[in-house]
Amino acid sequence: MRLDLSLGLILVLLAALAPVATNDYQLSFLLQLLLMVALAQSWNLISGMTGYVSFGHAVFFGVGAYTGALLLVAGHSWWAAVGWAALIATALALPIGLLTLRLHGPYFAIAMLGLNEVGRTVATLWVDLTEGGDGIALSPALLPALETNYYATLFLAVLATLAIGVVLGTRFGLELQAIREDEGAAEMVGVNTTRDKVIAFAASAVIPGAAGAVYAYYTSFIDPLSVFLPALNIQMVAMVLLGGRGTLWGPVIGVVIVMSVRELTWAEFPTLHLALLGALMILVILFLPEGILSVLRKRRGPGSTRLAEECRQQGE
Amino acid sequence: MDLLQPAILLQLAIGGLLAGALYALLASGLNLVFGVMRVINLAHGELMIAGAFLAWLLYSLLGLHPLLALPVAMVVLYILGFYLQRLLIERIVGRDELTSLLVTYGLSIILMNVGLLVFSADFRAVPALQGAVYLEDLDLVLSKPRAVAGIVSIVLTAGVYWFLKHSRTGKAIRAVSEHAEVAMICGIDVTRIRMVTFGLAAAMAGAAGVMLTTIYSFSPETGADFVLKCFAIIVIGGMGNFVGALLGGLLLGLAEAFVSGFLSTQWAEAVAYLLLVLVLILRPAGLLGKADAA
Amino acid sequence: MQNCYRPSRATWKTIGILVGEKQMHKVSRSEQQLEMGWGKPMSRGLLRIVITALIVASACFASTLASAKDEILVGASVALTGKYSRTGQEQLNGYNMWVDEVNARGGLLDRKVKLIHYDDESKPDTGAKLYEKLITGDKVDLLLGPYSSGVTLAASTTAEKHNFPMVSPGAASSKIWARGYKNVFGLYTPAEIYMDQILELAQAKGLKKVALIHEDTAFPRDVAKAVKAKVAALGMELVFEEKYSKASTDFAAMLVKLKAKSPQVIVGGSYLPDSTAFVRQAKEYRFNPKIMAFAVGPGLPDFGANLGSDAEGVMGNTQWEASLKLPGAKAFAERYEQRFGQAPGYHAAGGYGGGQVLEAAVNKAGSLDKDALRKALSALEITTIFGRYQVDATGKQVGKPGYTIQWIGGERHIVLPQENSTHAVVYPFKPWKGR
Repeated sequence: MRLDLSLGLILVLLAALAPVATNDYQLSFLLQLLLMVALAQSWNLISGMTGYVSFGHAVFFGVGAYTGALLLVAGHSWWAAVGWAALIATALALPIGLLTLRLHGPYFAIAMLGLNEVGRTVATLWVDLTEGGDGIALSPALLPALETNYYATLFLAVLATLAIGVVLGTRFGLELQAIREDEGAAEMVGVNTTRDKVIAFAASAVIPGAAGAVYAYYTSFIDPLSVFLPALNIQMVAMVLLGGRGTLWGPVIGVVIVMSVRELTWAEFPTLHLALLGALMILVILFLPEGILSVLRKRRGPGSTRLAEECRQQGE
Repeated sequence: MDLLQPAILLQLAIGGLLAGALYALLASGLNLVFGVMRVINLAHGELMIAGAFLAWLLYSLLGLHPLLALPVAMVVLYILGFYLQRLLIERIVGRDELTSLLVTYGLSIILMNVGLLVFSADFRAVPALQGAVYLEDLDLVLSKPRAVAGIVSIVLTAGVYWFLKHSRTGKAIRAVSEHAEVAMICGIDVTRIRMVTFGLAAAMAGAAGVMLTTIYSFSPETGADFVLKCFAIIVIGGMGNFVGALLGGLLLGLAEAFVSGFLSTQWAEAVAYLLLVLVLILRPAGLLGKADAA
Repeated sequence: MQNCYRPSRATWKTIGILVGEKQMHKVSRSEQQLEMGWGKPMSRGLLRIVITALIVASACFASTLASAKDEILVGASVALTGKYSRTGQEQLNGYNMWVDEVNARGGLLDRKVKLIHYDDESKPDTGAKLYEKLITGDKVDLLLGPYSSGVTLAASTTAEKHNFPMVSPGAASSKIWARGYKNVFGLYTPAEIYMDQILELAQAKGLKKVALIHEDTAFPRDVAKAVKAKVAALGMELVFEEKYSKASTDFAAMLVKLKAKSPQVIVGGSYLPDSTAFVRQAKEYRFNPKIMAFAVGPGLPDFGANLGSDAEGVMGNTQWEASLKLPGAKAFAERYEQRFGQAPGYHAAGGYGGGQVLEAAVNKAGSLDKDALRKALSALEITTIFGRYQVDATGKQVGKPGYTIQWIGGERHIVLPQENSTHAVVYPFKPWKGR
């Protein structure tokens, strides 16, 4: 735990000093990296911990992006708009969670996949509010500086990671994992599964909402396709799986690996990095179901993933 | 309202049913795989697009008519599906459904993006079977490509249904679908049956893809739209329920046609997703299925 | 499947912990963590790997920064794939031809010019990101715009953010210039006057009922807005209007509705794939208005190539034709055809003209300084092979007139305005049945 903390502090300190030592382009890259950390950790909170795999978390990102952009245009300060974006995404997540978390496994995943499409359709068709397919281009005069966006993203990434760290050490975290391992049994011993799931789900929407707004300020342009983005869902899932779901550092490692590969390929081969992601996803699920982190831990002898490991062996 | 004329309603209904038949062909393959191995194949749409590109290649390179490309595409896709099952899907049968969802998601991303690399995101179409038949007394238009695609879809779906009901292999497939372990004890080669099933589903998707080329323009990204519609269909009809998928497909086709006719084309594109979410929330096991989702 | 229902030993252990804690309140937190393993400290090896990964990542993007500075770098994103791929490719051909010819003439400011371009897949947000990359990553000296108003809307915001002037052929939506930006300079006749000549023709022929369909993006919406205003001003009636959001839209149901309204004029705010698909399906459904006109589509060689004889009589807009009496236009068309094996559409000429405008501005400014360049682009008044260039204070094109074309005898002819026409208007649109 102490090492976790000190490593975290070192990383945060390095990240906080980054704007001094980088040019705009490099800082942009770090911003995107931190943005993905924030999103991956949020996804980790619901899907990594409870096993309810959401294939549509981009819907909260999209709602946040539109809220943030529209409020900024309406004259609110950027930080207030980010706050509202988080709040509205969360408020939306509560009823959505109550309805969809009754569904199990694939039904939940598909429902979320569908919800993301519904979100995109609404953003496309509600032209009076969202300017439809045109998207919203934010005037540069309104936008916070790149450094401001960077620190905002850093804050969100730290917050999301801290949330995982804190939850992992609490009874609530244990309950969530119990739901993942066996929801029926968890319920039998008195875990209020519905409450836990909905809380985790709503909490997992806070940061994507805020991150969506910050993203809108960073790119200065959003449209329905770019924020209710199916590829974003894929990336969240792939990054967490790659590193190790339900762990503290797994998603961070996954993000760093995937974003580095992406940076090398995206402009020249826009499709290649997604194909690689797909292949990575399959390989990890087939051969490394607990992610890269599990390999590193196994080398240290019996330890952290024993629970999942045993569970798997028994299951098969 | 001048839209409420019998001729117009009939025209919309015919268009909807023909489109629905194509959906049904695609969705029943997806549902077959789910029924037999509890795997939700998110790459089903990409298999369809593979069929479409095959037809497009055969047409533009050899001038082969789509109806002649149909058997070729079905055979190729059958083989592809057969070996996909053997190499990849077989490894995840019996693991929890999320694993299969994630693996087939990965597969679909690979197929789509390889498609984009090879064929680019340009839209293509096969300009065969163009034109229409006019029924002057009824003031009706019957678009040739749509009619042919609809009929082919209905024949193929019915054929697969008959095959499942009456052939030996078909019975074995149904047996595995109902209880894999018992089927195994009865001496059925379950692994092989799964390969045949996946091959069959892939062939159906490929056939749908071939027919698609004559009606719509398509790109490697088109598959994703269709697979989401297929989810809506099998969720509506009941997962694993072959006849349910058929009815669900026709229903969605009709719904889209009428929403498009009376509301707007943009809303029609959203019908599938709205239905999907609504049915999942209100009746998770589908309109025909038994409750086991929640 | 099975492991969902059969709790494993480990699961029971988890549950045991929960129960235990509930009953006895004795299990200390550290023990819990030990049991679950989640709070385990990270190993040194892991730390090392994280740091290595960070170093690799930073090395990766450091490499993108190296570039020789003796060339003048011109950056652009163009739609090479996706729904605008044909038009985007033409524009890129125009850019490339300009770059090669400038270099043959000895370059700009005595330096060679090099074009750095990426594919934005016809997607606005990719375009915005690519301009960010061009400006901050590739550190280009000059910018040319992307294709389509939608992508330009997004990309111009990036340019504006960096206060970087951008010459934008390939965009006609007035919305781009209504935002108070100082760095976007247009070449195309703006969308709002696209359909005016055609609607005036319709009124002159005594037609009353107009139907309007359009894609739900920036440029087509501008066309639609202008059409609605013009229809009202001319005392005609808009009997049908519908938007669609995809290039691959199925127009079947829309055509059924359209026929029920029996409009005399159909106007489309469209691009190439949708206008082609609409005409094809209009034939199937025997939809027979007196005038059929589309914004982008009929003005391109591909329209005729795709539709063959079905293109006959369809009207459309063009920004440029080789037949226009412009200095160098005919020679450009010949050189272009020689090089690319196809007659240039107006997007190709626009791309080349955009390069010429940039060239003139750089020469006028005498440097690559952004402020000098911006000033030069604002004040510049020249006639390129593409036509007149003169912008107002917002950078919007005001010097260039619009033209109307029609497919007649398998060829594109300018039919309006009269002084530029190469053929008289063929009216009315011939019904499908008799063809």
